[in-house]
Order: sequence, then C-alpha cells, then structure tokens
Amino acid sequence: MNLRSLAWKNLIRRPGRTLALILLTALLSLSVFGGSVVVGSLRQGLDSLESRLGADIIVVPASAQSKVSFKNMLLQGTTGAFYMDPENLERVREVDGVEIAAPQVFLASLKADCCSVKIQVIGFDPETDFIVQPWIEESYTKELGDLDVVVGSKVEADVGDIIRIYDERCKVVGRLAATGTGLDTAVYCNLDSMKTLLKAAEAKGISHKVTSDDSDDQISAIYVKVKDGCDIGAVNSKIQGHTRKCTAVRTKSMLTDVSSSLSGISGTITTLIGAIWALALVILLIAFAMIANERKREFAVLRLIGTSRRMLSGMILKESAMCGLAGGLLGVIAASAIVFPFTTLIETSLKLPYLRPSIPDMILLGLLAVLASVVVGSLASSYASFRLSRVDPGTVLREGN
Amino acid sequence: MKKLSVSSFAVLVLALLIAVGSRSFLGPCVHEDGSFGACHWAGQAMFGLGLLMMLQSAFALLWRDRKVRAGILAATAMTAVLGCFVPGPLISLCGMATMRCRAVMQPAMILLCLLAALTAAAGCAAELRRSRAES
Repeated sequence: MNLRSLAWKNLIRRPGRTLALILLTALLSLSVFGGSVVVGSLRQGLDSLESRLGADIIVVPASAQSKVSFKNMLLQGTTGAFYMDPENLERVREVDGVEIAAPQVFLASLKADCCSVKIQVIGFDPETDFIVQPWIEESYTKELGDLDVVVGSKVEADVGDIIRIYDERCKVVGRLAATGTGLDTAVYCNLDSMKTLLKAAEAKGISHKVTSDDSDDQISAIYVKVKDGCDIGAVNSKIQGHTRKCTAVRTKSMLTDVSSSLSGISGTITTLIGAIWALALVILLIAFAMIANERKREFAVLRLIGTSRRMLSGMILKESAMCGLAGGLLGVIAASAIVFPFTTLIETSLKLPYLRPSIPDMILLGLLAVLASVVVGSLASSYASFRLSRVDPGTVLREGN
Repeated sequence: MKKLSVSSFAVLVLALLIAVGSRSFLGPCVHEDGSFGACHWAGQAMFGLGLLMMLQSAFALLWRDRKVRAGILAATAMTAVLGCFVPGPLISLCGMATMRCRAVMQPAMILLCLLAALTAAAGCAAELRRSRAES
C-alpha cells in the first residue's frame, strides 16, 4: 500500500468527515467563481455599453427625463417614446464643433404577438447613423428595406420570421450580437419603416406629433459626435443653448453613473467573498485541528511501524488536497448551475449592463477557483500535519488517547 | 424492514419543488389583462409532470422490492429528462429573453429536472446493485 492509496482509503473510511471538508472547500470555490463571473460580466457590460454609445453627446427632449429615464431605456430596455421638433437636428448640426449628428426615433409597440410584451422600436437613418449601423453591419450587410427589421439578441425571433407591430407585418432580416444592455431587447428599422409604424400607431389612436403641421418627421434623440480637439463640455453647452425644449446629456456623465454603481456592487461582492473565505478558512483550521487530535493514535501507530514524519505530513497534505480538488470542482459546477442559467435574472435584478466574459476567460476563472480551494485546503491542514508528524508514539499510546 | 431509499426521498422533494414552483415562485409570466401566453401551458405541463414524478417517487419510497424500486426510479429519471424539454423546445415560451418564463421558469425547471433525473438514475443503479448483493 503506498501513501496515495492510504490517503484515499482514509477519506473513504470516514465519509461524513470527508463530505464536510469537501462541502467547505466547495463553498470557497463557489463564492470565488460565482462572484468573479458576476463582477467580470458587469465590467464586460460596461465596456460594451461604452463601445456601443459611440456618441459624445445625446440630445433628448426635456420631457424624456421625466417621462421615462433615457438611461433606463439604454440600460434596462424599458420601453419609452418621446419626441421633439425635427428642426432641432438642423440646429444641432449648425453648432460649431459638431462633426456628426444622427437622429433616432423611438416607438414603444403595443404587445407584439411575438412576445405578449411591449417592445422598443428604434428607427435610425442608415446614411448618417454611427451608433446602430456599424453594429448592424456585423450581422447584416445589406440595406434595410421597407418594414425590414433587425432584432436585438434578447428578442426571440429568427431571421425570416414576421413580427407584427401595430398590425404592420415586419420581416426579421437579422439578429444583433449581445451587448448586455437594454439595446438587446429592441427592434431596429430605418426611418421610412418607422414612419409607416408611426402612422399605424396613429391609426390606433396613439399620437406622437409634437408640431401642429402634418409633417411626419419626428425625432426622439440626436446622437452627436464632436470634432477632434473640440471641448465636449463647451459643445454640449452650445447645443443646450441652440436647441428648444431639449436636454443635451454628455455620455461620459451617464457612464460615470453606471461605473459608480458597478464599483459599489463589485465592492459588495468582493467583501462578501472575503468574508466567506475568512470564515471558511477559520472553520477549516478548526476542523483540521480537531481531526489532528482525533487521529493521534492512528499516527502514533504509523510512526511505530516505521512511517517517517515527512511521509505522515505528506499523507495529511494529500488528503486535504484531494478534498480541496473535489470541493473546488463541486463548487465550480454548483456556481455554474446558478450563475449561467439565471444570467437574465441576475441582469434584470442588478439593473446594470451585464455581458458574460468569453468562454476561455471563464475556464481560466474556474481553474483558478479550483486551484485556490486546493491551496487553501492544504494551507489549513499544514499546521495539523506539522503537529501530527511530531507526535511521540510512546506517550500517545501510553495515555490511551 | 428495509431502509427507506434516500434517492427516492430526494426525488420526491425535487418533484414537489417542480410541482409547487411551476404554480408559484418559479411559474410562467403573469399578464395584467388576465390573458394566457404560450408559457402558461408550459407551466401547466410542468405542474403535471411534477405531480407524476411525486407519485412515482412516493411509490419508489414505499415499495419493498428493490427491483421494482429500481424500475420506478428509472421511469422517474426518464420523466425528468422529458421535463427538461418541455419549457421551450416542446411548448414554446414568450418571445423576449427578459420575460419571467424565460428568465426564471425555464432555467429553474431544467435545473430541477436535471437534478431529479441524475438522482433517480443514481438511485436506480444503487437499488440494482444492492438487489444483486442481497440475492
């Protein structure tokens, strides 16, 4: 019988004790893997939001801030529709320092037949748009036709499907890559299709006009890119003064808000992980000390039959490493069963952009969590192994302990 | 008297969670206007499967013959596997990933059914092994 098989047999012989040690180390890897995936997903979500909001300034009607928070629309996919005078687009373009100004039109559908829920429809101008168009080009390279729509990754409609919006049959021609933001729950079309949908909405008694004339041109938001070298704050102020009944929001300030919320959540998760680790480490130390006390006679006998101190220490470390490995794997599997299937639930509960890290990154995180469990288990048992290897066999056996 | 089967008891608890959960905290979307979406029927089917699994595991728990227990647990495992495919592939759900039926009901039911299938299969194997050892 070699040392490895002896360590294995010791674990099998006391299933209750082994199970308790495995569960404790599983708790460690569960907390570290689950916590890291959630924090990593939040960071990835923020990066994604930053790259998708390629504008420096967003101009929305003043009423948008009270009717439905524009930020909620971007982050949580809350539906909203607000409109402003289309003349504001020209006024923004006239402002010194503005490089591109691209309009978007929003429309909240009635319950669409695809999902029995309101969906956000976003109309954009493919000629000038620099926000949605590059993103759409990643999955659909042709020009969007009349009533052609591209759906966000969370809208469960396949390419070729027809979705009804205000009884207009819209054909799904593409699905967008996930961004982890509220933009994933929206449907995108060009401005001509949007005009058709706005008319259909009006036919159903939902008016969106802000001007008294019969013009169909309505806009909801203007995304502005500022010329290189220009001060964004100064351009923002100029736009604010140049437009009517509008609010110009700097995207950086919006992202700073999100970033500070993210820091708060990351801090809480990190503290929780730290607390779980400290607690589990203390419990493991106590558990191994008790085990050491309980196994004095066993080790005294092993010493008497010629097992060296080093071999005894090695055996205890092997036992704890085996428990750490089993617990680490169990913890990673348990965390995966909680975190991955419930991604959407976590995202909607946190109300922040949430995009899962790549598979290689997650595999690396899982391996690190297992490694951490093995190392912590071995460290916690090292004192017990030191004490047990120095047992005086004669004294222990005489005492009858 | 033979020992009660731990795996049958575990499956009974999981089946209870499926049956009760599909009607309450893990249930489908609730529409304000009282109408039913497709996901409502997926929830109903899961309730039925949960009840069936409860009955099966209760029989497995009470039956004395190990071979019969193993057979009932094998059937429970297959029912649980079927349950994994009900919300989504067999009965469609709502069209938005953020909706309750997709965000809560589907992953929870799949997870519970998977656990029930694995536990029932392990219980079936254990009962067969013990039966062979006893004979």
